[in-house]
Amino acid sequence: MPVMNFAQALRDALRYELAHDDAVVVFGEDVGKRGGVFNITEGLQEQFGEERVFDTPLDENGILGMAVGMAVMGLRPVAEIQFVDYLWPGYDPLYSEAAKIRFRSGNQFHVPMVVRSPYGGLVGGGLYHSQSPEALFAHVAGLKVVIPSTPSDAKGLLIASIRDDDPVVFLEHKRMYYALKEEVPEGEHVVPLGKARTVREGEDVTVVTYGMMVHETLKAAEKLEKEGISLHILDLRTLIPFDGDAILHSLERTGRLVIVAEAPRTVSFASEIAAFVAEAAVDLLDGPVVRVTGWDMPFPFKLEKHYMPNVTRIARGVKRALSLLP
Amino acid sequence: MEAHKRKGVPIPIQPFTEEPLRLLDEQGNPVVDFDPEEHLGLSPSRLVKLYEDMVLTREVDRMCWLLQRSGKAAFHISITGHEGAIVGSFYALRPEDWINGYYRTPPAMHVRGIRLAEIFAQLMGTALDPLKGRQMPGHLGAKKAQSFTYGSGVGLAHVVGMGMARALQYRKTGGVVVTYGGEGSTSEPHFHSALNFAGVYRLPLVVMIVNNQYAISVPRTQQTAAKTIAEKGKAYGLPGFYLDGNDPLIVYHVMRQAADRARAGGGPALIEALTYRLDPHSSADDDRKYRSEEEVKHWWERDTLKRMRHFLTLKGLWDEEKEEALKERVRLDVERAVEEAEAAGLPRVEELFEEVYGERPWHLTRQWEELQAEMQEQEGGH
Ligand SMILES: Cc1ncc(C[n+]2csc(CCOP(=O)(O)OP(=O)(O)O)c2C)c(N)n1
Ligand SMILES: [Mg+2]
Repeated sequence: MPVMNFAQALRDALRYELAHDDAVVVFGEDVGKRGGVFNITEGLQEQFGEERVFDTPLDENGILGMAVGMAVMGLRPVAEIQFVDYLWPGYDPLYSEAAKIRFRSGNQFHVPMVVRSPYGGLVGGGLYHSQSPEALFAHVAGLKVVIPSTPSDAKGLLIASIRDDDPVVFLEHKRMYYALKEEVPEGEHVVPLGKARTVREGEDVTVVTYGMMVHETLKAAEKLEKEGISLHILDLRTLIPFDGDAILHSLERTGRLVIVAEAPRTVSFASEIAAFVAEAAVDLLDGPVVRVTGWDMPFPFKLEKHYMPNVTRIARGVKRALSLLP
Repeated sequence: MEAHKRKGVPIPIQPFTEEPLRLLDEQGNPVVDFDPEEHLGLSPSRLVKLYEDMVLTREVDRMCWLLQRSGKAAFHISITGHEGAIVGSFYALRPEDWINGYYRTPPAMHVRGIRLAEIFAQLMGTALDPLKGRQMPGHLGAKKAQSFTYGSGVGLAHVVGMGMARALQYRKTGGVVVTYGGEGSTSEPHFHSALNFAGVYRLPLVVMIVNNQYAISVPRTQQTAAKTIAEKGKAYGLPGFYLDGNDPLIVYHVMRQAADRARAGGGPALIEALTYRLDPHSSADDDRKYRSEEEVKHWWERDTLKRMRHFLTLKGLWDEEKEEALKERVRLDVERAVEEAEAAGLPRVEELFEEVYGERPWHLTRQWEELQAEMQEQEGGH
């Protein structure tokens, strides 16, 4: 199997789908000639032509409105929003149109579109190149939300998202694009939506996480191992619909739950997981559910390392879940 | 506009005029010497049918009001006064074309091949409704009629319709997309995005603005400082046509040319059809708060139906007897359609959970189970 970084794996998925389905079209700001500001779509316009892979005016409302219109007519648009922090002019077509069209049309129309966008901090990007707004998509009935954490998953989940018949918001941690490499299956490689991945088996505490925080949690697991604490790590991969069974199954073994995500805490996706477990299986819990998150503030520029969840914060959260810390 | 009498040559139209283009004056007398068949491509029988469909549309609207007042419909938002602009523009389209309408188009949807009973079913949310009762009244669309099922957000039809046009262009299937909205919709970002993208990609899109001079209570002068809406097309590199929207013939004529040009790859166009909303904004509005009775009366005297009738009479195509027969026929058709729509019963509850996504995810299955238990208890309680 070839070794690919996150960016190459995403490009491989796009290239594969462009080659296999002429309904797939890829567009966004700078995605054509330039190949995107993160080079994810590099070479695709050259290979597939300007009708399949193209630049748009600088208007997120236009990009996502156009994607919705193309999708209801049977195409499979993959729209890139350059940074998720700039999606908001296009939130209306996503929230008011894409998410509701299947339902409101009585199933006459549906919206097989994907919105790809980089999210996440620790890139020196300040308030508007660092945020993690997944909860603002996960809350919207009718949307699916996918956040891969490895190159192999990035490819397999993106292919699954493009083939999905409903609108998918696909968030990519920009710090991982060129930081991670692994073997990625060539050609056909589909990772089904809605299934979590067991990153690490463990006995004491279940940690539910996704995106770049999977890797931070792995580092915390190594540190805690030395202290005799064993983490069971689940990478959600898909937030909507999330894999509730995998979480409950693992809690049967550990009885303790920590959720790690870099988004601000209040009304976050971490809160949803906590609420789900409290409602579905409070009897499985032997201690408090702990959310390890970013702080409830706009994303800081200079002091971002104090904002981001890190090994210390995760380890402290785990100890609170074990009632070893107040 | 110059009179143009050469046979078979369509009457030329100018974009960006300061006065609205028209073929008929406010009473329905032709302002230029033209022959509908030679110059517009409207045969006498089609001309008559256009008028009949406008009358039927008004009758549908009247019945919607009755159903709303009797509590059978939750709400109504009227087309009365807009028939010339809406029916006239529908007449200019071809089977391969698509529309993305707005809340004033439903009573006219029979022109696009949707059955009258389905129009009333959507109004009342019965099982015959193509939307399965999901949307409040005034949102009728149907795939089989190539009419998208728009939402309620003002203006979104334009930007989504722009994407639909991009799909037609990509698939090279021919056809044009026409999006509809009031003049208020031109203040939304979606209007801008649609025209801007359509201009850049030369999309087969016609944005049709039915300017009825009010957005609920807010007058047209408070939407934009521009003299006309049509002139905004200039900024996007596309023609904008300013029309008398109570003249169905100029609406038909301009829409036909704009759509032909767009289908042929000539690019998008903007149309502004000036009309007047003769009813309150909706069944939830009291228009006496913001406009005078004299103003409304002034516009009733210029009603689009009257104009068309006058023109047909001038042409020797219409008389009192025909008018009476038509009124009786549409009254009966509408009554029968309402009966059929009502008889259809309620849509299924289970489908609410089945049609959020293509496949029902586990969390919606759980919620459906919860609702079933709730419904059982409610039934048990009676
Ligand atoms: C985005 C949005 N804002 C507000 C409303 C509430 N609303 C419904 S119709 C309307 C007025 C629209 O006026 P106009 O576009 O001129 O169309 P008209 O009703 O006059 O035909 C408003 C404010 C809405 N549906 N959507
Ligand atoms: Mg208006």
